[in-house]
Amino acid sequence: MTSKNLGRVTLAALPFVLALLIDLTLYATVEDRLPDRLAVHFDAGGSADRYMSLSAYLLYTVPSLLVPGALWALITVRGKPHGRAHRWLTGGGFAVAAFLGYLLIAVLFVNVDVPEGGSADGFPLWHIAAALAAAALAGALGMLLSRLVPVPEDPRDLDPATRERIVLAEGEVAAWGRGIGAWWALVAVLVLLAAGVTVGLEQNWFIGAPLIVLALVIGTFSRPHVTVDRRGLTVSGLLPRPRVRVPLERMEAAGSRSVNALAEYGGWGYRIRPERSGVITRSGEAIVISLTSGREFAVTVGDSATGAALLNTLLDRQRAGR
Amino acid sequence: MLFRVDPTSTVPLGDQIAASVRRAVAEGAVAPGERLPAARALAESLGVNVHTVLRGYQRLREEGLIELRRGRGAAITAGASPQRARLLERVREAVADARDLGMTEDELLALVRSELDA
Repeated sequence: MTSKNLGRVTLAALPFVLALLIDLTLYATVEDRLPDRLAVHFDAGGSADRYMSLSAYLLYTVPSLLVPGALWALITVRGKPHGRAHRWLTGGGFAVAAFLGYLLIAVLFVNVDVPEGGSADGFPLWHIAAALAAAALAGALGMLLSRLVPVPEDPRDLDPATRERIVLAEGEVAAWGRGIGAWWALVAVLVLLAAGVTVGLEQNWFIGAPLIVLALVIGTFSRPHVTVDRRGLTVSGLLPRPRVRVPLERMEAAGSRSVNALAEYGGWGYRIRPERSGVITRSGEAIVISLTSGREFAVTVGDSATGAALLNTLLDRQRAGR
Repeated sequence: MLFRVDPTSTVPLGDQIAASVRRAVAEGAVAPGERLPAARALAESLGVNVHTVLRGYQRLREEGLIELRRGRGAAITAGASPQRARLLERVREAVADARDLGMTEDELLALVRSELDA
């Protein structure tokens, strides 16, 4: 891990560790005044309906803060978020930590001085509002703090003039195509189908049927194919439609680079983000197209350098009016 | 896989499509098991007739580079190594040279057979 990473990981895990330390410190100060059985779960009216022993409370508290802390640290390292994404991720971590930390402490304090064997009076619902306020404050603080640690720059592409080309003879027609192996799409289809049928049978078909339709739409995309030709770039599934096509007219230039699914696109699938969109099946090499609108469109596919080079060649040809 | 066809060339378009696949295999750009685009889709991409593409695919099948399965499309065969693709290219060159020299089919086959027996 680089020192730069260390700073970001520390910042990501910091709110969770702080919340845990505060929680444990406060626990130690009130431990003598707590009953053996803590009221830990409350119904919508705020009355206690489930209890937990003191040691169980501790066993529950520690992982409930450390697990999300580890998750945030992992996303920060593996996702390598930059710019705004990093600020939101850090702020989100602070907010979640403050929310969880506040509620865990509030649960503790409603049990203070409760008679042995008796039950807590209840959980005043303003604690929820206070927890949300704490989350908002901590989130804002996290976003401010995130500006202090160095983060990688947003990867932007090279000058279009320096891009690769494929030499084509006058009048020669070229096309490039390659499949994208998206094994998880098949898993998603099966899970959605099962969920749709189960919900349809057990609950109602108004929820079940859309899930099945969604599964079928994803199903046609479970073995997507990327095509580059005189019409532009097309990502298609098993059927002619639905498909994603970016015509040459909307392109500025194309390049090949490695993209990070989580950091740049916030996940997998057909992603639409403020500055970029794309069909992202994994992190790794991708054809990345700068659009005339100033946005980017990416598709993760192997041998992306050849696809991008052909796109640039076709763009040259189109600009030359051939 | 990069496909390129030149309509002004004297080489039939189907053969040019087959040559594109052969080149990709020879350069190691495609691996066994990889699928070729559906004939209809490739025909639209290149602006050629779908039968032209199918003729090219048929030729590749005869050479053992691809297998055609009904409903599953065309895929590179397990035995399609770069060496095999390069050998096919050299055979094509040898046949073309023999034709240029005015040799008959039997004469060329006799030549190959004598080389095999040697």
